[in-house]
Amino acid sequence: MQLIKYIRRNIFRNKLRNILTMLSIAFSLTLMTALHGFNAMMNFGGETNSNRVVVMSSQGFAGRVPISMLSRIRNMPPVKAAVPFSWFGGNYEDQEMAFSQFGTDPEEAFNVWDEYKIPQEQLDAFTKNRRACVADKRLADRMKWEVGEKIPLVGTFYPVKLELELVGLFDAPTNTDSLWFNWTYLDESLRSATSGAISGNAAMIYVNTKEGESIPDLIKTIDESNESSDTPTRSTTEAAFLKIFADMIGNFKALIFYIGAAVVFSLALVAASAMAMSMRERTTEMAVLKAIGFSKLRVLLLVLGEACLIALLGGLAGIAMGCLLLEGAHNAVSQFVPLSIFQTAGPWLGYLALTALGIGLVSGIVPAVRAANLSVIDGLRRVI
Amino acid sequence: MIPLKYNVRNLSVRWLTTLMTIVAIGLVVWATVLAFGLTDGLEYSLRVSGDPNDIIVMRKGSASETSSNITDQAAREIATLPGIEKDGDIPLSSPEFVTIVIKQRRNNGGTTNLIVRGVTPIAKKLRPNFKITEGREPTPGINEAITSRKMAERFETLRLGEKLEIQKTEFTIVGYFEAGGSATESEVWTDINDLTSAQKVQGAISIVNFRATDRDARDKLVEILQEDDRFKFKAISETAFFEEQMSAATAIKVIGYIICGFLTFGAMFAAANTMYAAIASRSREIGTLRAIGFSRMSILVSLVLESITICLLGGLLGCLMTVPLNGISTGTSMATFAETVFEFQFGPKLMMRGIAMAAIMGLLGGLFPAIRAIRMPIVESLRKA
Repeated sequence: MQLIKYIRRNIFRNKLRNILTMLSIAFSLTLMTALHGFNAMMNFGGETNSNRVVVMSSQGFAGRVPISMLSRIRNMPPVKAAVPFSWFGGNYEDQEMAFSQFGTDPEEAFNVWDEYKIPQEQLDAFTKNRRACVADKRLADRMKWEVGEKIPLVGTFYPVKLELELVGLFDAPTNTDSLWFNWTYLDESLRSATSGAISGNAAMIYVNTKEGESIPDLIKTIDESNESSDTPTRSTTEAAFLKIFADMIGNFKALIFYIGAAVVFSLALVAASAMAMSMRERTTEMAVLKAIGFSKLRVLLLVLGEACLIALLGGLAGIAMGCLLLEGAHNAVSQFVPLSIFQTAGPWLGYLALTALGIGLVSGIVPAVRAANLSVIDGLRRVI
Repeated sequence: MIPLKYNVRNLSVRWLTTLMTIVAIGLVVWATVLAFGLTDGLEYSLRVSGDPNDIIVMRKGSASETSSNITDQAAREIATLPGIEKDGDIPLSSPEFVTIVIKQRRNNGGTTNLIVRGVTPIAKKLRPNFKITEGREPTPGINEAITSRKMAERFETLRLGEKLEIQKTEFTIVGYFEAGGSATESEVWTDINDLTSAQKVQGAISIVNFRATDRDARDKLVEILQEDDRFKFKAISETAFFEEQMSAATAIKVIGYIICGFLTFGAMFAAANTMYAAIASRSREIGTLRAIGFSRMSILVSLVLESITICLLGGLLGCLMTVPLNGISTGTSMATFAETVFEFQFGPKLMMRGIAMAAIMGLLGGLFPAIRAIRMPIVESLRKA
């Protein structure tokens, strides 16, 4: 206990230097927390354990999944509900792709996403009116929409305009930043606009299963039944589907890793040089400690403990600051940062704290060993 | 003025601390330059892609090439319009079919979208410095394709001799091309008829790309294509088209700036720390300098110069460390929804930015310790151990 008190006192002896060291560690760890938080968010989808399956064309997003496939899938035993899910990508007023829009089946959509909540009378309105649409509550907040709002969408991907009316708002666990409308409305508009050239394309089919164990078999059944057709499919779990988007970023992860490694290494150097300075100034003191009977181990622990505590304090402050930053970004622009830090928090925060501790250990080891092996006579004689 | 030699000697006396600070600053500058090299590379590949007299004709309302379609008849009519550059008798007007397929990156890099473009032989004349660097051009009618070396290294089934599957049709890769580092190098090219038959949309055309003879002809053509009842298309210059695609690159750039900002702060504190220590252990010396008549200002300048020197050395080191990475290619689908492969670009401008950043670190990191040192009364500083 005496040891800890001594370490604590030492840290605040040269306030300026140690605060500077802590600040440099804090700033860099803020950055690392933000980067890793972003990374964790990108990978978040990969960890959802929903029972959903996504059926898309084997050719990817530009491919075609005929709507006739839907009824076949609905009849498969493990399937609870299935809906078409067609990305519209329209412009709203003057804003290009301000949010995502999907054409789906109003009757079944909330059985596929059964964790999304919508009041019953709003759902009824959605199913009754072909031009009705529903939106994520947070999207409606952002766009300042009320129920009853007219929402015109001009297609970029499809050559049609949709005149939608907002009839309901749903609550989802994360900000989906999306609007759902009736797929049939899209299909009919497309048919009349292109005289039948583009129609009957579900684009994607989202399936909810009764239980997770049946998913691998279901995926196999669906893909095999379409293999020799004109429109082969590629079905994946929802987690794997979301990973496709995370993958798109490409070498982002490697970049984070390299920047992170460079930052950690340079921090270790900074902290080490600060620690070496502290110890040089205290050579006489260390010799006195040894002269009055402190063992080598105790002196070693004393110096190491000081280095670790400085790094850890700076590191924790940095991680806290990084978390605040992520949470602030989530509150300010939740369409880009859809997850709160409370959802993405995980072991990686712990690893970051360990990294800070590691920086302390590395920076303290040389001065600590030096101090432990210091000869008492030399130390007492040395003039700084 | 205090001679510079004084500072240099000082740095070499405390060589270990100096070296540590230099390396630390160097790494920080390295990481920042790396982040900017990435965004600059991405921007370069999109910017070099456009020739201002090249026009892309798309369906009105479509935002990307893949969602556009143009009738065969309209495409033929476009080619006959006056004002289009000719190569001999053939107008430089290229009907192209563009599709994206989802493919696997090598080394478990995940899957992503890949642009496949069906073209006629005219297309290559509309791309900057297009040339086949290895293998040969694809022969129409027998499902052959070409791509860039960068793409071949990045995606499975894209190396010479390998077969790329599109809707159950296999396309053999027979050559690699280069196109001046433009976004074209992120695509796979094949014959337009082969690709549309594989996709079972025979005769489909996504866009028409043509080159106008000059600016006036270009403006007139754009007007005809946008307004004339025969067409009513969206006609934009390639430069503007790629400018649009660049908005996502801007997002990456913002991330770059954030990274740079935080690292600069972190490194600044490190530099300040070194200078505080250097000055604290020298207070007697500084007192002596004042006592023998050096002005406060000249001592301040000397100390700040010392700090800037350390940081500049670090900045140089950081920039040097990026040299081996120059030209390494990487890719992302964040910008255009399909993989854009590009090279890290560490031009002199970027290097200057890195060095400038280091100088700022040195200036701010040295200023405060120096001010503290010169404000100390001479007697007190002389008395100090």
